[in-house]
Amino acid sequence: MAGRLGGARQAVAVAAIAVLASAHVGSPDTYFEGPAGPYAVRVIVRSPGVIPGRAEVTVRMLRADPVRRVLVLPIYGDPRAAALPPPEEARPVTADSTLFSTAVWLMRRGSYGLKVIVESADAAGSVIVPVTAVALRRLPPGTALAVVLVSLGALLYAGAVILVGAATQEAVLEPGAAPDRRRLRHARIARGVTAVVLALLVLAGCAWWHAIDVRYRTGLYRPVAAGVTVRSIEGARRLRLTPGGATRADRERPWTRLLPDHGHLMHLFLVADSSGDGFAHLHPLARDLTTFEASLPPLPAGRYKVYGDVVHDNGFAETLVAMAELGAAGGSDWRRSDPDDSWLEPAAAGDPTARAARLADGATMTWERDARPIVVNRDAPLAFTVTASNGRPAVLEPYLGMAGHLVLTSDDGAVFTHLHPAGTVPPAAQQAFEPRVHAGRPPFRHASAMLPALPGAVSFPYAFPKPGRYRLWVQVKRGGRVLTGAFRVTVEPRLRRI
Amino acid sequence: MRGDGTALPWHVVAVALAATSATVGLIWDVSWHRSIGRDTFWTPAHLALYLSGILGGGAGGWLVLKSTVAGAADAPTATPLWGLRGPLGAWTCVWGALAMLTSAPFDNWWHNAYGLDVKVLSPPHVLLGVGLKAINTGALLLVAALQNGTRTTPHRRLVWAYVYLAGMLVGSTTVDGVELTGLPNRWHNATFYEVAAASFPTVLVATARSARIPWSATLAAACYMGITLIMTWSLPLFPATPRLAPVYHPITHMVAAPFPLMLVAPAAGLDLLVRRFGRGRDGLLSAVGSVVFVALMLAAHWPFGAFLLSPYARNPLFGADQWGYSEVVNASRHEFWGVDTDPVTLPALGLSAVIAAAAIRIGLWLGDWVARVKR
Repeated sequence: MAGRLGGARQAVAVAAIAVLASAHVGSPDTYFEGPAGPYAVRVIVRSPGVIPGRAEVTVRMLRADPVRRVLVLPIYGDPRAAALPPPEEARPVTADSTLFSTAVWLMRRGSYGLKVIVESADAAGSVIVPVTAVALRRLPPGTALAVVLVSLGALLYAGAVILVGAATQEAVLEPGAAPDRRRLRHARIARGVTAVVLALLVLAGCAWWHAIDVRYRTGLYRPVAAGVTVRSIEGARRLRLTPGGATRADRERPWTRLLPDHGHLMHLFLVADSSGDGFAHLHPLARDLTTFEASLPPLPAGRYKVYGDVVHDNGFAETLVAMAELGAAGGSDWRRSDPDDSWLEPAAAGDPTARAARLADGATMTWERDARPIVVNRDAPLAFTVTASNGRPAVLEPYLGMAGHLVLTSDDGAVFTHLHPAGTVPPAAQQAFEPRVHAGRPPFRHASAMLPALPGAVSFPYAFPKPGRYRLWVQVKRGGRVLTGAFRVTVEPRLRRI
Repeated sequence: MRGDGTALPWHVVAVALAATSATVGLIWDVSWHRSIGRDTFWTPAHLALYLSGILGGGAGGWLVLKSTVAGAADAPTATPLWGLRGPLGAWTCVWGALAMLTSAPFDNWWHNAYGLDVKVLSPPHVLLGVGLKAINTGALLLVAALQNGTRTTPHRRLVWAYVYLAGMLVGSTTVDGVELTGLPNRWHNATFYEVAAASFPTVLVATARSARIPWSATLAAACYMGITLIMTWSLPLFPATPRLAPVYHPITHMVAAPFPLMLVAPAAGLDLLVRRFGRGRDGLLSAVGSVVFVALMLAAHWPFGAFLLSPYARNPLFGADQWGYSEVVNASRHEFWGVDTDPVTLPALGLSAVIAAAAIRIGLWLGDWVARVKR
């Protein structure tokens, strides 16, 4: 009675922190596929991993358009930076007339919009590809470099000691004179003192380097740790999420106004922690600037990873991460916080290792790939078709303005990505840059809706960043109902040349 | 090898060019990063630094090779090391070139590991700076050996070359602390005087003690100021476009090197003291010199800093109010920074004086030694 009438009974309240790497969690590269004016392009931006650093940018023309040149203009997500530098010209990659490549310096941490401009003799088109510029890693020195530096360093050290000895022993003597015993003794003392002083200087230098290294590694970008509580109210479970983890650094991270992406301030994903296929895609309501609440679907009890995708007002997209322990669902019906909320319904959970998944409405989702292995950092064949129960291609409706959504996580928890047919790019981040480059032009229209696709088909540009086992959830909308297909795949390490 | 003739030996010309190239390259590189930003192996500023290493290391290496091969004929002036023989200055130049060479892969890895030059002062840059200074010091030692070795008064060109090289050494030293001392906005901070006290008295006093010309420290400081002024006045003549985002401050020409520090003032004071005190009272000279150095630094930079921040200095002559493309410009551009957190107080000036006293004492000792170098 108390539980029913007393309002809130805290079923579970867990706020564990997952410390993982990078925005989009472990997937630092940016993928975009869509129109740049009259041209269809696929843009891949390889994160430099350090800031300032050079991001490798490749632009592939998806049709055989007669392109004269391709330019890439970096725009920093700070309105105070009113002026723009000249664009970088992407050069055609030898023996591939549709592929262009360049490198762009990302000088500051934050959000960049790369304006990709495609020009031909009689037309030009452009598109903004948002990129998060964050420091993600510290390159350890290789063995060869360490050997070279230590060898040269030892030579310099010995040389300096000997030079000081020579400066004391011979340098001040008249030409032809030989050093006497006293001078020889002084030279020995000078060499010894120099050796000690230099050793102390080297130690001080190492301490300085270590301090820089610690400060740098402490400042590496991490997804925003979030606190999660799950409360059961009259049998309905509600999840509350707030940014800010256990550490002071987590709590003091800046949190700015958010931009609605697909009409929602946050896209919240719950995925079963280990082997389960439990999955939900929710859109919490913002109670205030930093408090988000959503009603949970009847997911099976267990531990769940929680990921919240948000876009800040400067176009910086990041992911909140947390863990949640869900108790058993109550008996009441799920009342969605938002009409676009969806989950993997039990009827749809089949054998995820198969290449075909039965959807909740009886249709079949098929992963269109051949038997070749999927390899890390290579274009992954993420193409899916949906076939109605009558065997015909299903008619798909836009879900949140997209032909489809794909969420993938690695089993080790190091990778989480939310993909659209337009790639990893949040439309809100694109919109954040629009006023600065398209002032006075027609308002932004989302790119993905403009690329034609085959009936019942949806595909996603992406390359897996790490080898290992992954789970994938593909979401489409049909007949006003969001349908989710679950798949699994093992991504192989880089193929070795035989 | 002797300096008795009227013409400077070729290797003195080479090492003087190396030292000039180093100072010019450093100032140019700072301006390049503030104006254009895009950094490649082949920027002109980098080429100037490579030229310094090639000229200094090449001249030093050649002298060692020549002395070693010449054997007994040239041996008396050579310092033996590892079976090879060469003047101490030549060895120092070779060591400096090796340090520069070592800094190259170190710096490259540093950029890949931590990002491109977030700060001017980094371990590989320190190693590069040590290499450049070693070449400059080697050049000074080569000239010192020539002027000390002659039985008559050394030729005027040789004496001037020595003073000029000391000036270049002062110039490259100013780049070390450019983040703390370069802009006049910092000239009302305690840190400015402390860094200055640690950086400049040693070279100035060593020059005053070892050069064969009156007012040598003042002349060396004037050489530094002269070459910096040439950069201050000439760099803005060249068009430049920022190549990297974000561009907070659109510029159309290279950013001028900041107006040089007014080091002639404390240098003149130190010159006067070194001459008046003579030898044998170095402890007292260090104590008095430290107070004079700090007082004259303060007297010169306190009001002149205010002038450089005033509208009267915003012209090509003084090159004030010039900002790099990536620097966020706001009202504080015309103000002294950190006067609340890092004010100039009596204890701070006292600390500066203590630092200066130690630096002067080292400078006197080095100057005495350099004045006796003959090989």
